[in-house]
Amino acid sequence: MFPGPTLLSAMTAVVEGALNRALELDPAGRKALMGALTGPVEFTLTAPLHLTFTLYQTGDRVQVCSQPAEIPALQLAGKPMAFAALATGDGEVFRHGRIQVTGDTALAHQFQRALNQLAPDWEAALAQHIGDVPAHFIGQRIRGAVKWSRQAFTALNANIEEYVHEESRTLPGRRELEATFEDIDQLSLHTERLEARLGLLERHTNEEPPETP
Amino acid sequence: MSEQQTPANDNQAGSPQDDVTHFGFRDVPKNQKAGQVAEVFHSVAGKYDLMNDLMSMGIHRLWKRFTIELSGVRPGHQVLDIAGGTGDLTMKFSDLVGPTGKVVLADINASMLQVGRGRLMDRGYAGNIEFAQADAEHLPFPDNTFNAVSIAFGLRNVTDKDQALRDMARVLKPGGKLMVLEFSKPTNPLLNKAYDMYSFNALPLMGQLFAGDSESYKYLAESIRMHPDQDTLKGMMEQAGLVNCKYYNMTGGIVALHVGIKP
Repeated sequence: MFPGPTLLSAMTAVVEGALNRALELDPAGRKALMGALTGPVEFTLTAPLHLTFTLYQTGDRVQVCSQPAEIPALQLAGKPMAFAALATGDGEVFRHGRIQVTGDTALAHQFQRALNQLAPDWEAALAQHIGDVPAHFIGQRIRGAVKWSRQAFTALNANIEEYVHEESRTLPGRRELEATFEDIDQLSLHTERLEARLGLLERHTNEEPPETP
Repeated sequence: MSEQQTPANDNQAGSPQDDVTHFGFRDVPKNQKAGQVAEVFHSVAGKYDLMNDLMSMGIHRLWKRFTIELSGVRPGHQVLDIAGGTGDLTMKFSDLVGPTGKVVLADINASMLQVGRGRLMDRGYAGNIEFAQADAEHLPFPDNTFNAVSIAFGLRNVTDKDQALRDMARVLKPGGKLMVLEFSKPTNPLLNKAYDMYSFNALPLMGQLFAGDSESYKYLAESIRMHPDQDTLKGMMEQAGLVNCKYYNMTGGIVALHVGIKP
C-alpha cells in the first residue's frame, strides 16, 4: 500500500529533522510546544491519503512517528488544508469541525497556541552560514517581499469585493445583505411569536368554561 | 534449505543433515558456522557502517527508523538489542527509554561490540546502556526481563534460528514485542532479478574496493538467499510461542520487519 514503510520513515525523518531544527531556533516556542506534548499527540490526515503521524516528546527533542500511539493524549483528524489553517493560527478549525478532536480539547487549544507562538529566528540560522550582514540583507528582502505580498493580497480582495458589489452589482453589498438578514430574522421572530399567541388563543377557546355553582 | 524451516527436521536427531547447516551456499558442520560468521564480522567490523551506507545507499537508516517507530518503546522500558553491532538501534532505544530505562546491546562478536561501544561512547551515550557478548541461542538473561527485543540483520547468521527465537521469546516479558529486521525476498520478480544482479556483482566489488574483502560480502549475498522468506519466518516465530505475528515488507520486500508479541 502506498506509501510503504520506507517512504513513511523518510517522511517522518524529514519532518522530525525540520521541526527540531526550527525548535532550536526558538527556545520559547520549544518550551511551549514541549509543554503541550505531555502525551502522544496523533494527527490523522483523512484525504487524499489516509496517514497517521504521532508526535512524542523524547528527551529535549520531538519525535515524529508514522504509527498510531497506543494511548494518545489527543487525536486530531482532518484534511491537510485544515491542519495548515491550524498551523497558521485559524482558531475556527475546531469550532467548524474541520478538525475532529478526540481526547483533551484543552490540550488541543494549548497545542494550537504553542504552534502560533513559534517564531524561529531564521535570520540567525542563516547568519551562521553566510555571515551577519548578508543574512540581514536577505532577511530584510524576504520580510519586505512577505509584507508586500500580504498587502497586495488584501488590496486585491478589497478591489474584487468592491467591483462585485458596487460596480457590476452582481451581488448585494455586505451592509445591504446584513440589513436584509436582520429583517428576515425579525420577521421570523414575529412569526414565531404570532404562532405562539394563536396557539394560546386556540387552547383558551377549546377549554370548556368552568362550571358555575 | 535450513533445519529451521521444518520442525519435523528437529525430530530426526542423529541424521547427517542435522549436523550441517549452511554458510552462504556452502554446507558446513553446525559447530563451525559460528566461528566462520565470527571471522566475517571480525574482518568487516571497522568498515561496517561505511559499507552499510554504501550498499543500501543509506536506506538501512529508514528500515531501522521504521523498526524503532513500531517498537512502542517508552521511558522506563527494558530493551534488548541482539546482534546490535555498531549500535544504530541501541542509540535510538537509549533516547526512548530515558534515564529510567535500560538498553542492553548484545552481540556474539567481540570486534563488533568493541566498535559499537566506542561509537556510543563517542556520541555521549552512557548511563542507560549495558553491553553483553552473548549468543542469541543462549541469552544470559532471566525469563520475562525485557519489554522489547530486537535483532536487526543478525538472525540469518544464527546457526539454530528456532532456538534463538525461542530464547528471545523467553526473555521477553508477557506483552513484550520481538522485532526481527532482516533481508528477505523481493515480492516483484523484476526487482528480484535486479536485486540478484546487484547482490552478486556489485556487493563483492564494493567490499573489495572499500573494505578490502570481497569474500565477506559474497557471504552476505549468499546468506540472504538462504534466509527463510517472509511467511516461513512468520511461521517460525509462531512456533517459538509468539502471537499476533506479522511482517512489513520494506523496499519491495528486500527487507522485512517481523513483529510478534509474547502472550
